[in-house]
Amino acid sequence: MRCLLFSACCLLLMRCASDYKGLQATTPDAACAAKIAPTQFNTGWYNANVDVYGRHISGLLLIKNMPDSSFRVVFTNEAGVTFFDFGFLANGEFKVHNAIHQLNKKAVIQTLRKDFELILGLPFRKGTVQRWTKDDEVFYGVVQKKETAYFITSKDCASLRRLEWGAARKRKVTVLLPGSPYPSPEVLELKHHTFNMQIKLARFTKE
Amino acid sequence: MADKLKLICGVFFVLTTMLSVTAKAQYAGYKSVTDLAAFKKQFATESSKVSSITSNFTQEKTLTALTETITSTGKFWFLRSNRVRIEYVKPFSYLMVMNGDKMLVKNDQKENRINVKSNKLFQQVNRIMIDCVQGTILDSKDFTTKVFENDKLYLLEMTPVSKSLKEFFQTIVLLVEKKDYAVKSIEMNEPSGDKTTISFSDKKLNAPIPDAMFAL
Repeated sequence: MRCLLFSACCLLLMRCASDYKGLQATTPDAACAAKIAPTQFNTGWYNANVDVYGRHISGLLLIKNMPDSSFRVVFTNEAGVTFFDFGFLANGEFKVHNAIHQLNKKAVIQTLRKDFELILGLPFRKGTVQRWTKDDEVFYGVVQKKETAYFITSKDCASLRRLEWGAARKRKVTVLLPGSPYPSPEVLELKHHTFNMQIKLARFTKE
Repeated sequence: MADKLKLICGVFFVLTTMLSVTAKAQYAGYKSVTDLAAFKKQFATESSKVSSITSNFTQEKTLTALTETITSTGKFWFLRSNRVRIEYVKPFSYLMVMNGDKMLVKNDQKENRINVKSNKLFQQVNRIMIDCVQGTILDSKDFTTKVFENDKLYLLEMTPVSKSLKEFFQTIVLLVEKKDYAVKSIEMNEPSGDKTTISFSDKKLNAPIPDAMFAL
C-alpha cells in the first residue's frame, strides 16, 4: 500500500514537473532571431494527414501567400471537396471563409487557428522576442495572453529545430521540421500534447 | 382591359426571355431536352449494356477566389453492379475502392476500411458515384435533375435536395456522350464557387477486369 502511494505521488510529481523548467533567460541575439525566425512562408500544396482521437483524415492543404500579405489555408479531400478555408489577415484578424458543419465548432476552429498561426510563424512577426537557453538549445519566445510561442534553435543558431506553443508550465503543441527549412518547409509534423491530435504535412509540387 | 392584357403579355414576354437567356447563359450551345421520360429510359437502357469501364481521368480543382488550380490524374475502374476503384497517381497517390457497402481508402501514410452503412455521407457519396456510372442517377431521390443537349452530348444538371449534400454541392453537372451514353465528365460545383471537374479519357467499355482489383 505504501509502495502504491509512493508510486502515485511520484507520478503526480512527474506530471507537475514543468516542461520549461531550467530555461535560463538570456539577452536576445537579434542577429540569430532575424536569421532563423520562421516569419516567411511560401505558397505551397501539402499532402495532409490528420489523426484525431483515433480517427484518420487525409487530404490536400493549400497554404497561399496572398498579394495583400494575408494567408489563405484551404483543406480539401483528394476528390476536391473543401473541408475548410481560413483567412489569416495581415492585421492579425482571422476569417473563416468556409467550413463544413462537422468542423464549424468554436473549439475546433480555435484549435486549427492556433495550429496554423504557429505553422505560419505569425506570432513571431509582432511582439518582443525573448531568449532562453536550456541544454544545447535556444528558445526564442513571444509571450501572448496565456501562452508563449517559441521557435527553438541549436546553440550555434545553425538550424531551426522546432516550434512550440507552451503555457507557463506545460508544452501544448510542437511542430517538428524534418527536411528543408522555412520559407518552404518540405515536412511539418504538428503534435498536440494535451489531447490526441497530430497533423502531418508533406509538400508536393503540383503538375 | 386591353392595357392590362398588354401589360400581362409584356411581363410574360420579359420573363420567358429572361428564363431562356438564363438557360443559354448557363450552358452555351445546349437546349433543354423536352422528352425527359424518353431520355431517362434510353439512358438507363444504354447504361445497362455497360458491364465494366476502364478509363484514365484528369481531375481539376479550381479555387476560384484564390485563382488556384490543382490538376491530378489517375485511373478509374467500374464493374457492375457496385464496384468502383479510383486510383490517383499524380501528383499524389491515393486509392479509393468501393465494393458494395464497404470502402477502402489508402494513401502513402495509412489504410482505412470503412463500412459505408455506418456513415450517411459516405453512403450518399458512394450512391452518387455508382448512380452516375450506372446511368441510374435520374432515379436518385438525392437530386432534382434538368437535362440539356447539343448534337454530341447530354448535359445533366443535378441539384441536391438534402441539406447534407447542399452543404458540399450547389450542382453536379454530368456530360454524357450521345454515341454510347458513357459519362464524359463530372463537374462538382460547390456553394463557395469552387469547382472540381473530373474528365474521363481512353475509355474501354466491357473489357474484363479481375475481381482482385476491388478486393478490400
